[in-house]
Amino acid sequence: MDEVRNQQRRRPALRVIGLSKWFGEERVLDDLSFCIDEGASLAILGHSGSGKTTTLRIIAGLEAPDTGEILLGGRRIEHLPARERNVGVIFQNYALFPRMTVTENIQFGLRIRGVSQGEQRRTSDEMLALTGLSDQCDKYPAQLSGGQQQRVAIARALAYKPSLLLFDESFSALDPQTRGGLRREIKALLRQLRVPALFITHDQEEAMELGDQIAILNQGRIEQIGPPAEVYHHPRTEFVATFLGAANVVTVDLVAGDIVHSTVALSHDSPHRILFRPEDVVLTSADGEADVIHRLGVGRIVEVGFAGATEWLTMELSSLRRQPNSPPALVRVSRTRWEADRFRLEVGESVSIGLRRFRVLDR
Amino acid sequence: MSKDAQTLSRTIERRDPTGVIGFGFILLAMVPLVILPLASVFIFGFSKGPVHFLEALTEPAALHALQLSIVTSAVATLCNVVFGILAAWFLSRYQLPGGVSGSSAVNSGIMVLISLPTAIPTAVAGFALLLLWGRSGLLGRFIEQTDYQIMFTTAAIVLANIFVTFPLAFGVIKPALDNLDTNFEAAAETMGATRWQTFRFVVLPSLRSAILTGALLTFARSIGEFGSTIMVSGNLAMRTQTAPLYIFAKFNEGDIEGANAIAAVLAVISFAIFSLIMVTRGRWGRSA
Repeated sequence: MDEVRNQQRRRPALRVIGLSKWFGEERVLDDLSFCIDEGASLAILGHSGSGKTTTLRIIAGLEAPDTGEILLGGRRIEHLPARERNVGVIFQNYALFPRMTVTENIQFGLRIRGVSQGEQRRTSDEMLALTGLSDQCDKYPAQLSGGQQQRVAIARALAYKPSLLLFDESFSALDPQTRGGLRREIKALLRQLRVPALFITHDQEEAMELGDQIAILNQGRIEQIGPPAEVYHHPRTEFVATFLGAANVVTVDLVAGDIVHSTVALSHDSPHRILFRPEDVVLTSADGEADVIHRLGVGRIVEVGFAGATEWLTMELSSLRRQPNSPPALVRVSRTRWEADRFRLEVGESVSIGLRRFRVLDR
Repeated sequence: MSKDAQTLSRTIERRDPTGVIGFGFILLAMVPLVILPLASVFIFGFSKGPVHFLEALTEPAALHALQLSIVTSAVATLCNVVFGILAAWFLSRYQLPGGVSGSSAVNSGIMVLISLPTAIPTAVAGFALLLLWGRSGLLGRFIEQTDYQIMFTTAAIVLANIFVTFPLAFGVIKPALDNLDTNFEAAAETMGATRWQTFRFVVLPSLRSAILTGALLTFARSIGEFGSTIMVSGNLAMRTQTAPLYIFAKFNEGDIEGANAIAAVLAVISFAIFSLIMVTRGRWGRSA
């Protein structure tokens, strides 16, 4: 009851209920439901072919769903043509009109709405200032860098005050430096304007940075949806755990004493599959005692990798398996540079592996 | 061309005689087959001096023939470009049913039909028009009852021009439209544009070089049309005689200078159009 009342009070900007889509025999979207609150953002994270772009195209009106409802600001829109939905789409390649200048691109939405010339001018000036493009206003898209083109695409969509912004893999074409800066800028801009936004991406870092909520899409189904930290720390499935951030999954048998000092309540009758993050591993010398942590066993270092602020290690645990019949488990470990320099480890050394925390996976 | 490529091709020229022989062969073949015939039009045209040339050119029948050719070609071009744009738009953006994996059999069938007229000999095309619109033709017999007549009029010339140049504009515009990213249209639609606004403001501007090239090709082909025109026009001087028919008529009368003057003008017009097509493709082809 409380949940229902909360939802009513919150009044989501976008509400998608039971969306399904078939392409011929193939089910691309399977009963998708999610909400985006007023002024909030959702990042849909998935591999290519997971159905994320189809989801965006259906919400934009560029594709028709087979079943499901879409409510934008409380209004049913799934039957409306794209032009009547009042959403802004930032396409992967931006799709800026090549024969129009930056200003003309930004004014296009207003021009076709029959807005007066003066009003068009005023709005485009405001959008140019907002996106830091004022000195580029007379250029054509081909004369702009990728980052500038994306700003134009955003300014062009914001100009006609859309009820929702949709970003289709909009950062993947940019180089990493531009990407990071632009992401933070856009996040700040959306906060300032309080426009709800949906980001479609295959980049986990991007999803965590841009989304107030993250939805993990796998083969047309939402595996988990929630705030980034919650999904990261409490992944509900192995897919979510391994897709969002790096994760180790091993099978442990309590009877055989695979994991000791466990404070987690585990039944003793059968093996459990547990999951832990590379940064949750603590390495101590093989004979040393590790307290306050769960001891997993002794492993041999097979690889040491330098990655600036962190060090990556691959360990082989001969006593553990990923699946009951698979070869010895390989565990990925990350250490801070400070830790790595203080306690140097070489390939071939054996060390004791402890876990700060781990999760037991449902089967 | 990069500096390396230049050096490389020069090396080949110097060491390998095949290049020299090849170029020599091309020129040698072109001189009697193409260059000399064209040159003789101008050499003979001016052989009796420019005054004579101008007199032959300004003869009323000659001027009328030129004017008629230009007007009928322009009308045919306008018709075929408008048709070409619409046909390309529908065939590229709407898939009719029938066929497998995205490619519609109906669409391909229509494509073949549109392209058919260029494969038909022009005399056959003219004859076919006569059979349709002539006095006892399939449709002509109904028109016969009114006082109108289509064959042996300016309209017949336009019809013949439309028929023989039918797929030219379409043939240039369709690939340009196929290559145009559909996301431009999707973007315009999500921004609130109607189908027509999207077409008018987004699609059409992106096609302008293809449209111009298609128009020039159609016009160039129309203005030189002979085979179908001579069948349907009646070849009446000062009335339905186009420039190519005029050249043929003057030649038959033994008036070589008269034929020559118009031949030179047609050659110059064709050359100008050809250059324009080259320039259009070079300048706008890349940015599109």
